Amino acid sequence: MTTLGQLCLLIALVGSGYAAFACIAGWRGGYGAVLKGGLVAAWAALGGLSGAAAILAGALLVKDFRFDYVARYSDALLPAQYSLSAFWVGQAGSLLLWAWFVAVVAIAYRFTAGQRAGGIGNLAFGVLMAYACFLVAIMVFAADPMQPSLPHRTTGDGLSPLLQHPAMLVHPPVVFLGYALWGVPFALAVACLVSGRFEPTWLRQARVWALLAWVVLGGGILWGAEWAYEELGWGGYWNWDPVENGSLMPWLTGTALIHGLLSWQHSGGLKKTTLGLAIATFALCNLAAFLTRSGIFSSLHAFSQSPIGWMFLALILLLAIGGPALLLARRGRLAAEHPVAGIWSREALVRLGVLALVLLTVVTLAGTLIVPLASILRGPRIVLGAGFYNCALIPTGLVLLGAMAATPLCRWRTSPTAAGKRWLAAAAGAGGAAAATAFLLGLRHPVALAVAGLAASAAVATAAAWILDARPLRPYPRVPARGCLSLRERGVLRPLVVLRLHRRQYAALGIHLGFVALAIGVTGSSLGARSHDATMRQGDVVRWAGYSIRCLGVQEHDLPDRSILDARLEVSEGTAAPYQVAPARSWHRPLDLWTTRVAIHSRWDGDFYAILRGEVEPGKADLTFQQNPMMRWLWASGWIAAAGAAIGLWPRIPAGSGDPRRTRVSGTLRVPPGYPPAGDGTPTMQAWCPVPDTLIAHQIPTRSPDHG
Amino acid sequence: MLRSLPDHTLQPNVIRTGRKLVVAGAVVAATIGYMAYVGASSSWQYYMTADECLANAAQAAGHRVRVSGTIAADSLQIDGDPRQASFLLCGTAANLPVICTGPLPDDLAGSMEVVVEGQLESAPCLLRGDKILTRCASKYESRRVPAAETDTSPARE
Repeated sequence: MTTLGQLCLLIALVGSGYAAFACIAGWRGGYGAVLKGGLVAAWAALGGLSGAAAILAGALLVKDFRFDYVARYSDALLPAQYSLSAFWVGQAGSLLLWAWFVAVVAIAYRFTAGQRAGGIGNLAFGVLMAYACFLVAIMVFAADPMQPSLPHRTTGDGLSPLLQHPAMLVHPPVVFLGYALWGVPFALAVACLVSGRFEPTWLRQARVWALLAWVVLGGGILWGAEWAYEELGWGGYWNWDPVENGSLMPWLTGTALIHGLLSWQHSGGLKKTTLGLAIATFALCNLAAFLTRSGIFSSLHAFSQSPIGWMFLALILLLAIGGPALLLARRGRLAAEHPVAGIWSREALVRLGVLALVLLTVVTLAGTLIVPLASILRGPRIVLGAGFYNCALIPTGLVLLGAMAATPLCRWRTSPTAAGKRWLAAAAGAGGAAAATAFLLGLRHPVALAVAGLAASAAVATAAAWILDARPLRPYPRVPARGCLSLRERGVLRPLVVLRLHRRQYAALGIHLGFVALAIGVTGSSLGARSHDATMRQGDVVRWAGYSIRCLGVQEHDLPDRSILDARLEVSEGTAAPYQVAPARSWHRPLDLWTTRVAIHSRWDGDFYAILRGEVEPGKADLTFQQNPMMRWLWASGWIAAAGAAIGLWPRIPAGSGDPRRTRVSGTLRVPPGYPPAGDGTPTMQAWCPVPDTLIAHQIPTRSPDHG
Repeated sequence: MLRSLPDHTLQPNVIRTGRKLVVAGAVVAATIGYMAYVGASSSWQYYMTADECLANAAQAAGHRVRVSGTIAADSLQIDGDPRQASFLLCGTAANLPVICTGPLPDDLAGSMEVVVEGQLESAPCLLRGDKILTRCASKYESRRVPAAETDTSPARE
């Protein structure tokens, strides 16, 4: 089977290499046969990678120790679900997974958006296959997951109990999928720069794939943080470790990229920045691989020293030189189409947000690379602690929150309406009131007060945008009101109709609210965390931070492969009903290893977090209690953002598509002077033709021209 | 030079908006830069191996340091208090004694790669750690098992 697996990898190498060559060589469209051959080769590459992945997964499930990889990361006692997670625990397996994801994404792109993109689509597909070929080549020449174990092994090394956690089934593959998805905006950007064609198609396609990559990578990071939160010894949910930073940086630049794409689409600006961000995001994904695989960082998450890190470094250098060179060559076609309309226009706020995100990325990159840079410069080797990153994060987060608080009421290429300005003032007032309330409730830290105020402002501004959109419409003067607006468009259902019509805008605002929840969670858990140590016997009561904690017992249980020590605690908070938690420690006999299972009781105002450190003497437990405020907001932020992204990514269903009597028509409608009232901007027009009746039109005031 | 610019860039309101944006961007950049500088000056630490720590003990004494190394086999002691461990970090010529107080990782064991943060004392050279981190278990590359060991117990780092 190892030979068959290696054959699959060779097929994938040849297939992806030929597909890349054929699609890049034949992108101009004059070589249909070459392109068709490239597509067949791409399918062969995907088949080869799928075959290799299936062989390795099967070998892990049946514990086939003839595979060196299986022998190193599993053993006969490993449960089946964690046998699967062993697939991506090791270096070679994770590369196979990554390469497979890239091939799947490339094929998915080719058969969805790529077909509509014409020559650029072929070129982008070729770039993606070239990247798949690069990853497969690394496996074939430097990190073979199909390597046979020599001499034959009859047992395996096993998987660390710390990795036998449900999050291990989700976090690594989701992060790798995120990295693979960022390849599409990169490939599209390269295709545009090489071809010199910057058509609207690329913007729409890049935005969809970038949003998908953003939510997937963000979800992967958040799952990893949750895992770290429940595992002791990893420094909490975020430790600013080089490899954690490695996954954060592409997410930050990717966030900036999405906003750059929007700015390009709506205001014709930030073109060079957007293309540069697409390349930088992809380069940073590869930097994350370099950080873990080069061995130059003593990161907690780093693989041991390996030559493949330097292959990723070569790719990063190629991107660092080639990207700016292409941008320089095409700079003439990338001038801004329109000036920034004003400091309170949406494009101005996007520019500030992009600047803050890029600066935070630069700061994070500098902090991450300072150790090797100091070595190269032969200075004293220093490392920067979490304080460095946290200090830079504070102003960045506040700028982003401020921009989010204003964005819903600002518009592309023009200033806010008079009503918008009034609501902006109201949102600012609500923010001030929220900060004052937080102060009266005992919050004293200025950052916490600022976050409370800006969060309230963002929520009010979002609600205000909805209210403004959902105002009753005035009918077009020359069309009878009865025929102009349907009852649901004039009546109580109009707010819902507005949500449907402006779906993508409200999805984006929902994602912003997810970020607000993230800011609340990070601020609360960072500034308000408290802990307390105690030793307790059965019946003992500890009163701390408003909690009354009673020990119900300390017990030891024996299982075939482990001994479990747990402490049962009853926790009361004020007048609320008491609840029980049971922190525990397990001793895994075969591995001679202790693991700790923390007990968490989560509420919206904070988590009660209990750790059993051990037994001081028989029946007397050594415990640590922590109060981590607002943690649930942090985890909820991911779900809010995911829901927003799902709504935004949902395919557009043409209006009236299910009703043969209604047909959407598009065109320019001339609006008489004075309608709509001055300051409301250019209205988006939608018209439906009930066939064969007369035209019925209605007008939807909107602050953004992209919802027509 | 000016002729190559689009017409709209020369309008006074555009120039004013551009200036405001530049000022706002400069304020944001300066604030983030300053805060990063403040954070760096308060959180930097010497980053050393056990050997470098022993060689530069006088220079680094009293400073906060982050030391990476491997725990010497059989040197790890966790007595009574489960929040305190003592061990030796392996160097080529000598070993660095470490007393670490605080939450200990579950998988802390002899012959394991760790990173310890704390204060260095010079005479005698001793690292008083308050934070110890083990290498993320998901990235272990298990040691290649020699032929003689293949049918016996598994080897782990």
